[in-house]
Amino acid sequence: MSLVNYTSREITCKIVYYGPGRSGKTTNLQYIYSQVPPARKGQMVSLATQTDRTLFFDFLPIDLGKISGFSTRFQLYTVPGQVYYQTTRKLVLQDADGVVFVADSQARQLEENIESLQDLHENLAAYGVDVRHLPFVMQYNKQDLPADLIVGVRELDDQLNFRGAPSFAADALRGPGVFETLRSLSEQVLRKLGGAPGGGA
Amino acid sequence: MTLSVAADWVDAPLKQFVGDARVQLAVLLHPSGQVLGQFGFTRSVDVMTACALSAAINASSSELGRLVDGTPFTGLHHAGRDRQVFLAHVPVTGGRLLLLAVFDEESSLGLVQLFFRQFCATAATVAPPANAEVPALSLDFERELNHNLAVLFGRA
Repeated sequence: MSLVNYTSREITCKIVYYGPGRSGKTTNLQYIYSQVPPARKGQMVSLATQTDRTLFFDFLPIDLGKISGFSTRFQLYTVPGQVYYQTTRKLVLQDADGVVFVADSQARQLEENIESLQDLHENLAAYGVDVRHLPFVMQYNKQDLPADLIVGVRELDDQLNFRGAPSFAADALRGPGVFETLRSLSEQVLRKLGGAPGGGA
Repeated sequence: MTLSVAADWVDAPLKQFVGDARVQLAVLLHPSGQVLGQFGFTRSVDVMTACALSAAINASSSELGRLVDGTPFTGLHHAGRDRQVFLAHVPVTGGRLLLLAVFDEESSLGLVQLFFRQFCATAATVAPPANAEVPALSLDFERELNHNLAVLFGRA
C-alpha cells in the first residue's frame, strides 16, 4: 500500500524481493546499501539467524528525491526464502506495491524457483491481489557463474516468466542487473500509483 | 524535535498524546509499516525503519496470539535499560492502526496506557476512511526517476 501525503507531497512505496533461499535477495539489498550515499538511506536492518540466513526480513529505506514534485521514498524488504518460513513470507508481502522475484540461475535450483513462484502466487491470492495487476520484475541472479552450471535467460524466461514481465540477468554480488531491476520495478510502481496504464506487467 | 504527519487528522491527537504521556518518541503507523505521523525522530529513513520493525513485531505477536490464545495480541510492552517501548492497536473506521511510544523515567507504563486510551477514543472519531486518491505524476516522471536513481547509484 503506497502512502501519499498531499500536504507535504510525499510518496512512500513498499517493494518486496521474493524468491527461494540463497537466490540473492539479501545480496541485492546489500549491494544497493553499498551504493547509496549515507544521507539518502537508513540503516539496513537484517533479522537473521546465527548462520546469517534471513529469519524474518531485511529492510532498507531509501530516499529517491523529488519525482513530479513528490518526495519519494522506497521501503525495500526481502522475505526469508527457506520453505518453512511460509508464515513470515506472507506477513512481509502484505500491502506490497511491487515484487522483484529473484531467481537462482543455477540449473539445480530450477525446481526451487518454480516452487517459490507458486508460493508467491498463493500468498498474493490470499491477500486478494491479482498478480497480473501487480508491478513485477524477474531477476535471474548468478548469471556470472560458469555456463555449464546455469540456465540461460531465454530458457528461464520460458520456465518462469509466463507473464512476460520485464526480466534482467544479474550478478547481485558485484552489481550488474541490480540497478536495472530496481529501476524497472520503480517505474511500474509509480506508473500504477499515478493511475497510468502499464503499472504492472 | 518536531512532529510530522502524513495524514492531517493525526496532528492534534498525536501532539496531545506526546505532551500528556510525556513520551520521547511516538509513531502512528499502518499495520503494513507505513507511517502516518511521528514525533521525535529527525531522519525520515529512521522513521521508516522503526515502522518496519513495529509492523513486524505486531504481525508476529498477532500470529502468536492467534496460535496460543485464539485471538491476536493487541498490545505489548518491552522495558530496556533506560527506555521502554509500548506498541498497541488503535482501532479506527474500517480497520486498525498501530501506535509505537518510547518513554523513559520521565513517564511510566501506566501513564502511557492512560493517555493511549484517550488517543484511541479521539482517533476513532476523527480518523477518516482510507483515501483512494492517486497522485498526479507528470507524464515524464520516468525521466526524473531514472535520473534520481542514477544519482543514488553514482551513475549520473
